[in-house]
Amino acid sequence: MKLFYFILFLIAAPAYSQILITGKVTDKKGGALPGANVFLKGTYDGTTTDATGSFSFRTDAKDTARISVSFVGYETFEKKISLLENEISLTIKLEESASELNTVIITAGAFEASDEKRMALLKPLDIVTTAGAAADITGAIQFLPGAQRVGEQEGLFVRGGSGQETKVVIDGMIVQNPFFSSLPDVQQRGRFNPFMFKGTSFSTGGYSAQYGQALSSVLLLNTTDKAANNGLGISLNLANAGVNYDYAGKNQSVSAVAYYGNLRPLFALVKQNVDWQHAPEFKGSSLTYRLKTGKKGLLKVYGMYSDSDLSMNSRNPASESGKMRLDLHNRNAFTTSTYTDSWKEGRWALNSGLSYSRNQDNMSFDGADFDRFDERTQVRAVITRLLSGNNSVLFGAEAHVIHLQNTTNGKLYDLNDQYSAAFAETEIYITRQLAGRIGLRGEYSSLLNRFNAAPRLSFAYKTGKYSQVSLAAGQFYQNPDYRYLYQNKNLNYERADHVIFNYQIIKNQRTFRIETFYKNYAQLVREFTGQPFDADPYRFPWGKTNNGGNGYAKGFDFFWRDQKSIKNFDYWVTYSYVDSKRLFQQFDQSASPTFISNHNASLITKKWFEKIQTSFNMTYAFTSRRPYYNPNNKSFLADQTPAVHNLSIQASKLQTIGGNLVIFYASVDNILNTKNVFTYRYTPDGKTRYAVGPQSYRSFFVGMQIMLSKKAKVTKDDL
Amino acid sequence: MKKTSFFTLFVFLLCCKVFAQNEKYVQAMTATLKDMNAIDRSKPGTAALQEIANRFERIATAEQKEWLPRYHAAYCYVQMSLMGGTVLEKDQYLDKAEAFLKQAETILGKTSDETAVLRANLSQMRLAADGMNRWQSEGPKFAQFIEEAKKLNPENPRIYYLEGSGLFFTPEQFGGGKKIAKPVLEKALEKFSTFKPESAIHPNWGKMETEWMLSQGNQ
Repeated sequence: MKLFYFILFLIAAPAYSQILITGKVTDKKGGALPGANVFLKGTYDGTTTDATGSFSFRTDAKDTARISVSFVGYETFEKKISLLENEISLTIKLEESASELNTVIITAGAFEASDEKRMALLKPLDIVTTAGAAADITGAIQFLPGAQRVGEQEGLFVRGGSGQETKVVIDGMIVQNPFFSSLPDVQQRGRFNPFMFKGTSFSTGGYSAQYGQALSSVLLLNTTDKAANNGLGISLNLANAGVNYDYAGKNQSVSAVAYYGNLRPLFALVKQNVDWQHAPEFKGSSLTYRLKTGKKGLLKVYGMYSDSDLSMNSRNPASESGKMRLDLHNRNAFTTSTYTDSWKEGRWALNSGLSYSRNQDNMSFDGADFDRFDERTQVRAVITRLLSGNNSVLFGAEAHVIHLQNTTNGKLYDLNDQYSAAFAETEIYITRQLAGRIGLRGEYSSLLNRFNAAPRLSFAYKTGKYSQVSLAAGQFYQNPDYRYLYQNKNLNYERADHVIFNYQIIKNQRTFRIETFYKNYAQLVREFTGQPFDADPYRFPWGKTNNGGNGYAKGFDFFWRDQKSIKNFDYWVTYSYVDSKRLFQQFDQSASPTFISNHNASLITKKWFEKIQTSFNMTYAFTSRRPYYNPNNKSFLADQTPAVHNLSIQASKLQTIGGNLVIFYASVDNILNTKNVFTYRYTPDGKTRYAVGPQSYRSFFVGMQIMLSKKAKVTKDDL
Repeated sequence: MKKTSFFTLFVFLLCCKVFAQNEKYVQAMTATLKDMNAIDRSKPGTAALQEIANRFERIATAEQKEWLPRYHAAYCYVQMSLMGGTVLEKDQYLDKAEAFLKQAETILGKTSDETAVLRANLSQMRLAADGMNRWQSEGPKFAQFIEEAKKLNPENPRIYYLEGSGLFFTPEQFGGGKKIAKPVLEKALEKFSTFKPESAIHPNWGKMETEWMLSQGNQ
């Protein structure tokens, strides 16, 4: 009989009196949350909160139940409640879920261009389309805050640092030869096609323990994970002709590029300041293969090879003719493969890579051979563990084998270095408003036979919905210039200490960012020749050396971007100030090096004309006076060059011709034909001074890209 | 004897309860879908759709083995993203939609043509939220889900509706426009005319929108 009653009870249950549950749902501050879903888990009983955040519903549940409240933008709330009374009243406060508006991001020192992160200050395409940058990544980066423009050399000069103090890193791997081989007083382009990358992070200091061997800056480039199914394309311009092919399948994709370039046609049209004997001629190819392995795994293999020839007469005041003939044949190969994977819903992630690069420069100066050779093999692995509440910790290690050779007049200089590093870093969110990143990097170089340990630290605090302040500090080590190490293997690392303070506000497509920094240089290499200063930048050091040098750099820079005020018009303004002195190299007293310009400013604008499908971009750049060496002046490096101005324009037009998309582009660099001077040099007797300027003054460039596949899609953002 | 009859009664009553439970589920789903379709689309704001989404969520939490309440909740949030204000708000709606879709597919044990269609729709909305920055990442995703749905069931009319609507809102110079969308939308309408949902609570949206777009194209 008992069973019978039990069954009756079971079936009759709904007939029993219901319990009334009422209450209110608010945010942490007590503000009403209308639209929240309030219900008892496992039942149909529940309701949606009204305009005042209040709710009221009845339930048949007995004894206890779990009340659940969910609402978009807030963490789901759950609580066990007892249902012993007929009426229950609850007040429920929901916690906002983490989002960019309430969670701080560590930003000091980093200037990001990314499609994936919404807080990035620029998009990768902004870099490619900057006028005056000639579609060169470093060409565009040098307009960013913190960079100083040095027209006669390649490299990124960041906050008082020399070009050698910046490392270019692709998918975590250091690029040994990011630029085409250096020539006397002719700035070289970067080797990499900017369209290869989905994101660029330009660190102006205080960067993560994941990277080393750079006293000033790292430029982090991340290759795209996917190729568009664009099929065959052809690019034609005044300097080169190329074909590219992209194929994307479900799990794998391939991109291939081959090109031939010759600058003779361009040089015939644009007056050159350089006396070319053989205009640069180059051919090359690259291949990228990507394979999705499993759910999250991705293998990327990239390989490139290029071969270039040129010959020029460079000015040589020491010779009778005043000229020196330089021949250069360069062969460069770079391969890198990376494998990334993640497990347990992204809680564990692996980034690993293997890379090899090889570079051969066969050069001769007036017939005398001067060959350079280098190769670098590197492996790297980083494991990241995501913890609850945005916290994370990562560990990693890398190892490099570097081999360098210089042959000067039959004498061979040879160096081998095995460099390894291990690092650990953790990102801690103390609250959503306050976060810190603490890292430590340890390095060992077999060549120096020394260890170093470099701590890195950053903090960020969210000061408002759209604004935040950050602080970054750290120590950075770099091996001395290898040319010194050929002669002296007892040298130590050079060191820089950074402190950076940053404020930024991003609101409504307008960005303001200001950063101030102090940088201390220590253990810089000094060279003692017992002779007067030799300003020839291509001299081979032969004097005694030690690590007795030092220096500082301090300053600030700011950035303002506005994409909102005028429709289809985007502009940004940057200004950088730096004050720096050093005692290093052959200096016998502390002075501002020749690559320092106190003020750098630029204005970059982009305007899109919808009707004619054309984007029109303009860049104005100003670089203030720079010191140069005058042997006749008793005070060292006291003379200064005039300031450098450059106004450049660029236009791109999108058109469909016979069903194929075609992009036309044209640019004029230095449209005002300003006779810029980058530095001055003197003849050995000190009597004659001559100016070193750009390769050409006003110059222009035209070209087009044709996409032969009907599948190809292009929007204005590509222009 | 007595014991067996009790047992029979027990089993019978239990069946009733299970049946009642199922009936309750279908009833709740039918009522919620009816209310969803009755929403006045011309009125601004997400409140009405939020209410419906919440009801589907409650059914979903009570019915751990049903994919349809999760599917419809996801659909509601995809629609809400169109009405949400900032990109962040739109993304939050779409994140929620994605979570429901994931649950639905876990219950189904596979991707069905309908979940693939909704995923394509979701990509479309992500793209619409921030087109300038997302066409590269979401565009191919949309195409991929459409392709997947076609493979699973080429007769699903919503595939062509989404394809057509994508073209409908793409400017002419980029290979879109009303004229180009028209044959695709017509194909969708043709498929709609023969389409029979598996049950009254299975996905059955898009016809009205297709008709509206076609009427715009004819102007």
